[in-house]
Amino acid sequence: MSKDAASPARLLPTSQHTIGPFFPHTFFREGDNDLTRLSEDARPTARGQPILLRGRVTREGGVPCVNMILEAWQADAGGHFDHPLDPGRDRADPDFLGWGRAWTDEDGGYEFRTVLPGGYADAAGPRAPHVNLTLMGAGLMRRASTTMFFPAFPTENAADPVLSLVPEALRLLLLATPAGELGGVPVFRFDIRLRGAAGEETPFFEE
Amino acid sequence: MDRNSRDALYTSRRFAPWPPGIEPDVPVPGYPNTWTHTPSQPLLRRPVTRTEATGPLALERKLPCGDSNLAEPAPGRMAIGQLMHITGRILDEDGRPVRGAIVELWQANAAGRYFHPIDERDAPLDPNFVGNGRLRTDDDGRYAFLTIKPGAYPVPVKETWWRPPHLHFSVLGPSSLSRLVTQMYFPGDPLNAIDRILNSVPDAAARERLVAHPVPPAEAGDRWLGFVHDIVLRGRHATPETP
Repeated sequence: MSKDAASPARLLPTSQHTIGPFFPHTFFREGDNDLTRLSEDARPTARGQPILLRGRVTREGGVPCVNMILEAWQADAGGHFDHPLDPGRDRADPDFLGWGRAWTDEDGGYEFRTVLPGGYADAAGPRAPHVNLTLMGAGLMRRASTTMFFPAFPTENAADPVLSLVPEALRLLLLATPAGELGGVPVFRFDIRLRGAAGEETPFFEE
Repeated sequence: MDRNSRDALYTSRRFAPWPPGIEPDVPVPGYPNTWTHTPSQPLLRRPVTRTEATGPLALERKLPCGDSNLAEPAPGRMAIGQLMHITGRILDEDGRPVRGAIVELWQANAAGRYFHPIDERDAPLDPNFVGNGRLRTDDDGRYAFLTIKPGAYPVPVKETWWRPPHLHFSVLGPSSLSRLVTQMYFPGDPLNAIDRILNSVPDAAARERLVAHPVPPAEAGDRWLGFVHDIVLRGRHATPETP
């Protein structure tokens, strides 16, 4: 049955505000920045290639942003989400959360542990492997949202309907850089410049 | 792909762009950090693909819930301040309750100081008040916290600015696009009209929706003051159908 015909009155969404400088440290627990585990004490998923995402968040003048909150969301290694809007939900990895939260240290640094996401076919076009990141912090009245891609998928990246919207000269800013390994786990570096010169500032998307 | 079907992708059945006047205008005059942190380039409008439309549905193991009594962290240890009960519903744009949403609340103590290493202001800390809690909404989309009314505090910027008493809310709903971080204000506070953060929201009705409604004392009873505050997340049909 279509619910649109009998939709109740439309409510207007509540305005967003800055998260401010005082988001409680007590809200964080060990492993909150680990997308591969459903909880602190759960086993990490066995599917996919584990990776570490690391980077630095800076503001105007290249000054590190301390105490910024980052949240990551991505598909599992097979390109699925455990969510009713994914038609392939039954194939989603039950041990993969796909969500994590990190906060930046005094150098603006953050880290997420995850697996290399899978791409998938979407109505908008074929999505290349990617991780959506949203940033919150003092001085950010609205969340700043961006997407990181991986350099190992040039064909998929070229066809991605989101990356294609980014002016060509800026696309490189959304590609993570391979940065060695840590304990056998590949590390990717993704720095985020919240505000900087055109051509250096990270491209952000409307929410 | 023709232009119409391409445009349709930016406005999915569930997610329309923010209506005008609701999003804060940035950067904010008199709030210096917004001038160094806010992206200077125009935001790109992207299609709503599966990554944007979905979000984590089973966060309660990652983010343990249940601290809804901020006013009495342990039996007999009461925080100092005006006891208040705050409740409301998390709704989608259709007015449907968002059940199972994670609601995080944090706030200053009665003297306007946060229990946070960054807050080094010369105001007393209350050993019985940490001032944060997290819970999941019930089947009716409802949340409720018992807490104390926070104090106002000055922001360390050149042009004098006091934040009015406010509660911070972070809500994790069923999709990335419905993720919301906001603040709630108290009715009748004279600082509301001059607060730089509240007034960065251009639309007066949208600002009014950030102010809680008082519960008549006859209803709230004689143990605490009552306030009601509903929060509307972006998205229609936002409540996932039970599979």
